[in-house]
Parts: sequence; C-alpha cells; structure tokens
Amino acid sequence: MLASPQLQPETDPPKGGHFVLRTSAEAGKSNESPLSLDSSKEVAKASNDEYAHLQMRIFIVTLIVSAFAVSITAIFFELQASFSILIGAFSGILYMRLLARSIGSLGTSSKTVSKIQLVVPVLLVLAVSKLPQLELLPALLGFLLYKPSLVIQALLDSRTKP
Amino acid sequence: MDSITTAASVVAAGLAVGLGAIGPGIGQGSAAQGAVEGIARQPEAEGKIRGTLLLSFAFMESLTIYGLVVALVLLFANPFAG
Repeated sequence: MLASPQLQPETDPPKGGHFVLRTSAEAGKSNESPLSLDSSKEVAKASNDEYAHLQMRIFIVTLIVSAFAVSITAIFFELQASFSILIGAFSGILYMRLLARSIGSLGTSSKTVSKIQLVVPVLLVLAVSKLPQLELLPALLGFLLYKPSLVIQALLDSRTKP
Repeated sequence: MDSITTAASVVAAGLAVGLGAIGPGIGQGSAAQGAVEGIARQPEAEGKIRGTLLLSFAFMESLTIYGLVVALVLLFANPFAG
C-alpha cells in the first residue's frame, strides 16, 4: 500500500491490517483550536500590562535616582542647586510620562508620535531664565536624570533576553 | 549685547534646532515604522515592542533636546551677552 507523506494514520489503528487514513488537512482541522476574540483580548491586555509595568519601573527608578541626586546636592552644594535639580527632575518625569503616553497611543488612536513632550524642556529653560531662584546647569542635569533609569531598563532587558 | 552678537546668537539657535532635529527625526520615523509593522505582524508582542520603542525614542529625542537647550540658552540666557 502506497501512502503519500500527506496521509497520516490514526493514533489507534484498527486491527486486521486496515488503516483508516486521513489527509493532513483533516488532521489539522481536528487538532486546531480556534482563536477566539476573548483570547486575543487577553493577549492585548497582557501586552498593555507589560508596557504599563515598564513605565512604572522607569518612574520608580527615576524617583530613586532623583531623590539620591537631590539629597547629595543638598548635602555637598547649595540648597538653590538642590531645588533646581528637584524642579528639573520633576520636569524629566513629566517629559517621560508624556512621551510614554504618545507612544502608547501610536497605532491605536494616532498615526504619529506627538511632539507635545518637547514643550517641557522649553518651559523649564524659560522658567530658569525668568526665576532667579533656579540655576540653569542643575536644572538641566535634573531634567536628564531620567536617562540612568532608561539605561538600567535597557540593560535589564538585554540581560533577560536569551 | 551688541547687534553682531545678537544676530550670531539667533542664527546659531536656529542652526542648533534645525540641524539637531534632522537625524533624530529620520531615526524616529524609521523606528516608528518598524514598530507599527512589528505590532501588526505580532500583536502578542505589542507590549515589548512599545517598551523598546519608548526606550529608543527617549534616547533619540535627547539629541533634539540638546540642540533645543543650546538654542534656548543662546536666546534667553546668553553667556556672551556683555
């Protein structure tokens, strides 16, 4: 008996030498589990949760780094520089939240990444130039304090990947 | 601040923003294109793709911010203003 590679025997063939053969298409239909709408929604929800967890991790690490930088500056430098770093750190956190929101809406409610987050450093520099209590360099350094958390997250991602 | 310093500062501010935004703009466009294609092909990896896109966008956009800060400092807190 010639059996083509596309024909598969049943798992429990009847005795007596008679094999009931099915095509691979029929076998595929019997083993196929249909992808329901609920499962796709669950996958999308788990994916959104992963993105939200990443945002939360970045937020927490940025807060820790900012608190460390502000305390170190308050101890070893002036309080004015410490206050400027604090304002800059809050601006950086706001910038990251706006960037994360615009990326989260990419492909769902908008086709482009909005540039509204670039208003934050503009307002920071304008505030520094207008208010005498703030200094430019500490405020900019505080604004860039979100970068260490990004580097940490990128390193963690690269280490968890096989 | 004399007129030559003012004019040079304004021209430099424009060049800093304009030239500094070219490279990140191209990079962000291609990154967003790849991310949307990846999400369309693998919707189950959407969270990971968005996270990677967030990190790469933050790194790319910092280059734009550097140029923006230099321009704003030249315009509003010019160190060459006598």
